[in-house]
Amino acid sequence: MALLLGLILGYAAIKFKVKGNPLIDQIDAILPQTQCGQCDYPGCRPYAEAIANGEAQINQCPPGGQDGVDALAELLNVETMTINDEHGETKPKRVAVVDESVCIGCTLCIQACPVDAFVGASKVMTTVIADECTGCDLCIPVCPVDCIDMVELKPTLRNFVPDIGELANAY
Amino acid sequence: MPTKSYNGGIVVPNLYRVESVGIITVSLPNKVVLPLNERVTDKAVPCVSVGERVLTGQVIATNKDYDSVPIHATISGQVTAIDDQLIAHKSGLKTRCITIQSDGKDEWIEQQDTIDNYLNLAPSVLINKIRQAGIVGMGGAGFPAHLKLGLLGLSNLCKTIIVNGTECEPGIMCDDALMQNYPEKIISGVEVMLHISGAERAIIAIENDKIDAHNALLQYISDERISTELIPTKYTSGSEKLLIKALLNKEIPSGGFAIDEGIVCQNVSTVSAIYDAVVDGKPLVSRIVTVTGSGVSSPDNYDVRLGSYFEHIVSLAKPSNEKHSIRMGGMMMGTDVATMSVPISKICNCIFVNNVAPKYDVKECIRCGSCNQVCPVDLLPQQLYWYSKSENTEKASDYNLLDCIECGCCSYVCPSHIPLVDYFSFAKALHRKNIEDKRRTDAARERFEYREFRLERNNKERTEMMEAKKKAIKEKMANEKGQKDKIAAAMDRVNKNKEDNAQ
Ligand code: SF4
Ligand code: SF4
Repeated sequence: MALLLGLILGYAAIKFKVKGNPLIDQIDAILPQTQCGQCDYPGCRPYAEAIANGEAQINQCPPGGQDGVDALAELLNVETMTINDEHGETKPKRVAVVDESVCIGCTLCIQACPVDAFVGASKVMTTVIADECTGCDLCIPVCPVDCIDMVELKPTLRNFVPDIGELANAY
Repeated sequence: MPTKSYNGGIVVPNLYRVESVGIITVSLPNKVVLPLNERVTDKAVPCVSVGERVLTGQVIATNKDYDSVPIHATISGQVTAIDDQLIAHKSGLKTRCITIQSDGKDEWIEQQDTIDNYLNLAPSVLINKIRQAGIVGMGGAGFPAHLKLGLLGLSNLCKTIIVNGTECEPGIMCDDALMQNYPEKIISGVEVMLHISGAERAIIAIENDKIDAHNALLQYISDERISTELIPTKYTSGSEKLLIKALLNKEIPSGGFAIDEGIVCQNVSTVSAIYDAVVDGKPLVSRIVTVTGSGVSSPDNYDVRLGSYFEHIVSLAKPSNEKHSIRMGGMMMGTDVATMSVPISKICNCIFVNNVAPKYDVKECIRCGSCNQVCPVDLLPQQLYWYSKSENTEKASDYNLLDCIECGCCSYVCPSHIPLVDYFSFAKALHRKNIEDKRRTDAARERFEYREFRLERNNKERTEMMEAKKKAIKEKMANEKGQKDKIAAAMDRVNKNKEDNAQ
């Protein structure tokens, strides 16, 4: 009970902590929260802090893509730049899928996942909560039996957005 | 009589009038394709497998969710596939469907007993019957009928039932046909709804160009709680909120529901299906569909099994030899579909078959303001157009984009032929997607922060635990030292005693 209360209080403390710097928050709000670390920082917020402190360029986030760079430039009121492909290429949104017949339950992926999207325990098969996976790729290299695959998210009836490219010409 | 109406809307000539409105019962199709999700949010689970024989009316997929309805076989025969098939949706995407090959026998499940007097049954029992019969709003929205009624059953919220027989889209005549041919079913269905809801009255709304339908219904009304109302023939009268405005002069605010004002609207087709379910114990396996448009020479209404392909009935309406464009639903609010090999669903009231005509050139907006004048929900399409085109969904929402009922009046009157409504349905979809994306990124941010917190806490706990352990060991060792000392002291004493005794 005490542990639970402690947990809740502790968590509430981070959740509601007055974030010291509104600029960092604004930058963080633009970043895609993939938490992949391709920007060379351990997560989106650390990268946001680095941008705010002038330590990092605005074009280091591949998942955010060129649109993300442009949005950051607009926020910071600076000239935009092209995305730096040394940090990786911009890929369509994907999620990790575990081949459950191969998984040995080593839990290395659970430890690698920055958003706790894996469920499983030692020596039992692991699986991914697709809705919570950010597609960061961090679990891929740690899997000793290569049973994690990144699968592109297909549009569904539910999230389908029509194309307006054609509309401007003839109707 | 004062005419009951609302602002805006347009009068669209009906180019496809027929002499008399009849219903043709169509032969059984060779196969039917039945999607598992009638609405995009549903996910029914099949309870039959490939190869199994099924009977007409048998439940073939169930929904655990109270919000959705079961799916029934609409013919008897063999399940030949459970896989992804094309459906009538503008995305052109496939969705999971059950395919049944007909055995030509149309053998029904054992019919449930017909009920002579449903008045003896509790509303909750009847509501459940309606759900089990798979009835959804057949006017186009597809909202499960038992949900609207379910609310009422619980708390008697409903004061007024509005039965929508307006059928305001020019060309569609399936509801007109139903009212003219089965008026008694509709009136009995309304009586069932009055019983379930405990409402004080029911108003059947009909456009004043459907006098025959009106007269047919009048013959069967004996309950004084039921009345009819003729409203002007004007496009978009059939939209729920506008109909309420016209009939009762009540505004349902943005984001609000009719039930907040004690009102439940139901389409006449749905009411007739409710009658079939409650009185005859029959699930919904067929519907009446209008086939019309410039591409067919004899527009008509067809009573057809759900899941039949469009072509099954289009071929009966004498299509021309030209190239066709196909549209499900009305010419104004319908959806274009790429092929006729898609199944007829519960919400498919009409199939428009048009000869492909040259398209208009889209020109610049000349700021004439015509669109603003016709918008029946008082939006500013001209403004919305700029924001939608530039994908500024936030600004568009500020201008109440989400209240747009996608009626297409604005597109219809625009002298520059700008397909305004297509921009708005795009912007609405984009807006939904943006919200969903934001929900995901916010969740990811929170989970990341929680993980950091958890790791930090674990670290701290581990350090604390290690320290506590160290301390315990030291104490134990210290204790042990104390014991040893005590033993040594005791031994000394014993030895000393021995020595003393020896002396
Ligand atoms: S489509 Fe939308 S904006 Fe255009 S007239 Fe209809 S409700 Fe108004
Ligand atoms: S009707 Fe067409 S041209 Fe006129 S203001 Fe509206 S969008 Fe512009």
